[in-house]
Amino acid sequence: MKRDRARSGPYRRGLTFLRRRWRVLLRLGGWSVLEMGQTFLLGYALARALDEGFLAGRPGTGLGWLAVAGAGVVVGAYGTGRVYGAVAALVEPLRDRLVERVVARGVREADDGALSGLTQQVEIARDTFAGLVMVSRSFVFTAAGALVGLFSLAPPLLLVVLPPLAVGVALFAVTLRPLARRQEAYLVADEALAARLGAVCPGLRDITATGAEDVIGADLAVYVEAEERAARALARWSVVRVASLAVGGQFPAVLLLATAPWLLAHGVTAGALVGALAYVTQSLLPALRNLVHGLGTGGSRLAVVLRRLTGAEGQPGEAEEADGQAGKGTPAPDRPASRTVTSPGRPASRTVPAPPSPPPPALRLSGVTFAHGPHAEPVLQGLDLDLPDGGHLAVVGPSGTGKSTLTLLAAGLLRPGSGTVTVYGDPAGARAAAARRVLIPQEAYVHTGTLAENLSLLRPGPVPRRELLAAAEAVGLTPLLERLGGPEAVVDPAALSAGERQLIALTRAYLSYAPLALLDEATCHLDPEAEERAERAFAARPGGTLLVVAHRITSARRAQRVLVMDGPRTAYGGHEELLDRSPGYRELVGHWDPASQPALALGDADGVDAVAGAGLAGDGRHVVAHGPVGQVQRPRDLGDGGALGGE
Amino acid sequence: MRPRWQDDPLTRESRALLRSAGRHSAARCAALCLVTATATGAELLLPAALGRALDLLLAQAPATRWVLCCAALVLLVAALGTAETVLHGTVDARATAWLRRRTLAQVLAAGPRTGDRFGSGDLVARLVGNAAQAGAAPAARAALLAALAGPVGGVVALALIDPWLAVVFLAGAPLLALLLRALARDVSACVADYQRVQGRIAGALAEAVAGRRTLRAAGLEAKETARILRPLPELSRAGREMWRVQGRAAAQAVAVAPLLQLGVIAVAGLLLARHRLSAGDVLAASRYAVLATGVGVLVGQLSGLARSRTAAQRLGELHTVPAPDHGERRLPAGGPGRLEFRRVTALRGDRTVLTGVDLVVPGGTTLAVVGRSGTGKSLLAALAARLADPDDGEILLDGVPLPELSRRELRAAVACAFDRPVLLGDTVGDAIGLGLPGPSPALVREAARTAHADDFVRRLPDGYATVCADAPRSGGESQRLGLARAFARRARLLVLDDALSSLDTVTEHRITQALLAPGARGTRLVVAHRAATAARADAVVWLDDGRVRAVGRHAALWREAGYRAVFGVPTGEESDT
Repeated sequence: MKRDRARSGPYRRGLTFLRRRWRVLLRLGGWSVLEMGQTFLLGYALARALDEGFLAGRPGTGLGWLAVAGAGVVVGAYGTGRVYGAVAALVEPLRDRLVERVVARGVREADDGALSGLTQQVEIARDTFAGLVMVSRSFVFTAAGALVGLFSLAPPLLLVVLPPLAVGVALFAVTLRPLARRQEAYLVADEALAARLGAVCPGLRDITATGAEDVIGADLAVYVEAEERAARALARWSVVRVASLAVGGQFPAVLLLATAPWLLAHGVTAGALVGALAYVTQSLLPALRNLVHGLGTGGSRLAVVLRRLTGAEGQPGEAEEADGQAGKGTPAPDRPASRTVTSPGRPASRTVPAPPSPPPPALRLSGVTFAHGPHAEPVLQGLDLDLPDGGHLAVVGPSGTGKSTLTLLAAGLLRPGSGTVTVYGDPAGARAAAARRVLIPQEAYVHTGTLAENLSLLRPGPVPRRELLAAAEAVGLTPLLERLGGPEAVVDPAALSAGERQLIALTRAYLSYAPLALLDEATCHLDPEAEERAERAFAARPGGTLLVVAHRITSARRAQRVLVMDGPRTAYGGHEELLDRSPGYRELVGHWDPASQPALALGDADGVDAVAGAGLAGDGRHVVAHGPVGQVQRPRDLGDGGALGGE
Repeated sequence: MRPRWQDDPLTRESRALLRSAGRHSAARCAALCLVTATATGAELLLPAALGRALDLLLAQAPATRWVLCCAALVLLVAALGTAETVLHGTVDARATAWLRRRTLAQVLAAGPRTGDRFGSGDLVARLVGNAAQAGAAPAARAALLAALAGPVGGVVALALIDPWLAVVFLAGAPLLALLLRALARDVSACVADYQRVQGRIAGALAEAVAGRRTLRAAGLEAKETARILRPLPELSRAGREMWRVQGRAAAQAVAVAPLLQLGVIAVAGLLLARHRLSAGDVLAASRYAVLATGVGVLVGQLSGLARSRTAAQRLGELHTVPAPDHGERRLPAGGPGRLEFRRVTALRGDRTVLTGVDLVVPGGTTLAVVGRSGTGKSLLAALAARLADPDDGEILLDGVPLPELSRRELRAAVACAFDRPVLLGDTVGDAIGLGLPGPSPALVREAARTAHADDFVRRLPDGYATVCADAPRSGGESQRLGLARAFARRARLLVLDDALSSLDTVTEHRITQALLAPGARGTRLVVAHRAATAARADAVVWLDDGRVRAVGRHAALWREAGYRAVFGVPTGEESDT
């Protein structure tokens, strides 16, 4: 039941698509009529040329009729050329819509697969759809031309040709669906093999190193065999095509001969008989052949690709926690059950002060628990945190302890399993919250376009030049800005270093109206001085509230408060206080700099174990290792927020 | 010319591949050849029979025999067509699968030697696309005779009916060929145009996907989507232009064959008027003209074969990568894992990376490999694990040269972890236990715990049963899973090639403490970038320009400025790759 509906969906949508473009269809039909005329003339003129010309001893007339057919061919070819234009008017809008969908989904779901969808699958859809339109149109008009021709030559001819043709087409139509299923199974098996190989091939070294050649080989063999089976099943089913071709295309010729005495007795001339045979063997048979082959493979290919491009849309919305956020944003006000009731009536606009109650904190986490799945152990458990307006908090800890999960919760990209996250009193996922916080993740976003475009992305309109330059100066972007050639210069993100991209992202965030800035290792590619300048700029921003997932110990020292995230050893306090009180923090500070070797220089091989004193703490080395610049850390989806940022 | 052609090992390899693929379906190929040739023969006879029957019918003579003959030919063509379809499809499928199996076995056997030379995307393209193209060769070859016989037979038949018919056809044919080429001409320019705009949209999308968090946190998805789609009208324009140009070319192409055919009919008609031909002959001539224009099909088939041959060469390239041989020997039971390099020289391409390396790692100790990037640290590690073979010298484990060990014995004795491990297996647990015969969950979990991966694995949606592809991972988490996979093997030699580089310092410290503690099992070879790691090893080998510069304790080597420079201490930042 459900499946039937899903099946009919694309067809109905396809029909709607075509109905809306009836003008184009009309144009397509109009130009195709020229081809139909060509088909008609090829048989009709041949018959007339024989009957009235060559057989009647008037070769001039015969040649005249053939010249008419030749003119028909030329005109028909012109029509064919124009048909392409009409096909374009059908195909290009479909391609536009597919591109729109793929891009929208790619941006919304941050799906890397969208890229191959855009460049490959959309093109397959475009080509196959065009092929289908051409082939089916060509069959319809060729058949019409031939049948009209047969009728004009002698109506009894139609009686002989039409029935087997109809049976052949019907046979094909009946078997189209099972054939399409085999074709689809084949495509699916082919893609499964490619996907499996795509997973295995990058790991050849790992396979050899683990001695897993046999296991992996056996696993791949299953996919190779499945593809072979599907291909052979398809080959067997293709017999149906040959059968419908034989019945619909080849049998009529024999039938014409068998009934020839009867036809000749009923006024059919010799020329008409030759013309009829020409219609059957030279027009109908090729057209049917193209239809049978084109529709069989193209149709199922298009169905598979369209399903992949459009059908997958509904699912991730439910599957991904992150996507649930979007839905949550709207109904949130109707849900007073959440603990945000402390400031329920707070209007979205910041210009209106709320004098009766104390202002809500910039960020509040109450009893927040987060896990990646129902069977997973929580990354965060019962976390409470208040970041007051204007506050400055640094978050430190080993990787994988939930530092990035914290920022993603605050950014509304993850939804807590229990507890609440509010930004200035609004649920973190609500639209109002989105306008009041800005996230600067480790992987800075810079798009191809002018620098000004990039910097004003978070603003409703363009940023005045003076304000823009002032921001650049504050954050430390000015040297890059001058090197690139001013705000109107076009930037190519690939040509920028990771640190330069981070500076652009930071300046953009600095320019946004959002008071709460979430820096998730946003300065990890900057040198310590540049980092300090940027952080200080944010701290000094009017009304600026700052949460920094620290990359260097200096970040923690600059902050008013430090949150050490390390499982059971999680602690919260000022820098000096934590050094005193938290062994986890001491360990972090101690290993802040593994490369400089003051202790070892004294000949103590185990010196690195010693807890460093304050002297080591301020050296500005990396807290958290990160891969070499250019190493791709590609998350599969947004759901992995906590894990990704950890590094 | 010919000997050189045959001497080329790649050509030889790819030809041998195609030959073997064909032999794999030899009987089917022979049948296909017979079937297609017979079918073409029947198709060539049919117009003559039709013409004869028509003439008899027009003359009101008894024609039953000829009509039946026509019917029989049509039936025969249909039946043979059925057989051809099945045979063709089956041979293609079998040959493709055979080529894939054969090439996969080779790729897996050569392992990293293939992986180093070919990108993984390229490999997939070869194993999927090229294998299918090459797999089409045996059937195409078997059907070639028939494809050739059709057009040639058509022309011959025209000549048999009347030589003038063949003359007209052959005179018009060059025109046909010229005009057919028009199709390929100016389409390429607008295709490039189209692809450029498409590339711009794809590039912007790729940027936005990378910046997903910024966009999502600020609710900018719709705004950015609109910005990315701004060049869409341009794409549409380029697309329409493409169709327009294609239409023009197609219009020229579709006109040629019917005009040629009309020319033949016109001449036949004139001959009919002079009573040199019958009406049936005219019918037959028009059919033969169509068969003769099938030369386009033949050209297509030939270029398909050429494509198959190129594809086979791309498969053949994979077969030219030498796969290592393994001996039958076993290691002495309970050996300590003593690793020995004897005058080892190794090349990468034409470049000598390691020169005359002599090295002994006593069983149960840890050797750190240190040196600037590009001095052969990774290659040294790969040689120790026999992921590569030296070009000179030998490497022994507990006294046995590595190539003399059986593959099973070697892989049980040596475990590796890498900078960027690729985790294979359906679930995270499978990935850790990869290659082990029936690893117990306890073993897997224990290894994960040692690698400090247990905590985050348990936080995954389904813990150890989480599907690998769904397990969100950062570089550091992948590394820890890779380490767990190495630890699970409990091998006597553990090779860590920069396997801790993405870990935060605290985690790295915790792991190395357990791993390198005195009394830990087995011998360890650790490529290290951090001084702390080198400091904890029993000895350090300092590589410089592919040679062993010094071997000693870290503390002793540290006195040398050159050694400290390796860690970037006096000169500042160390370049990492």
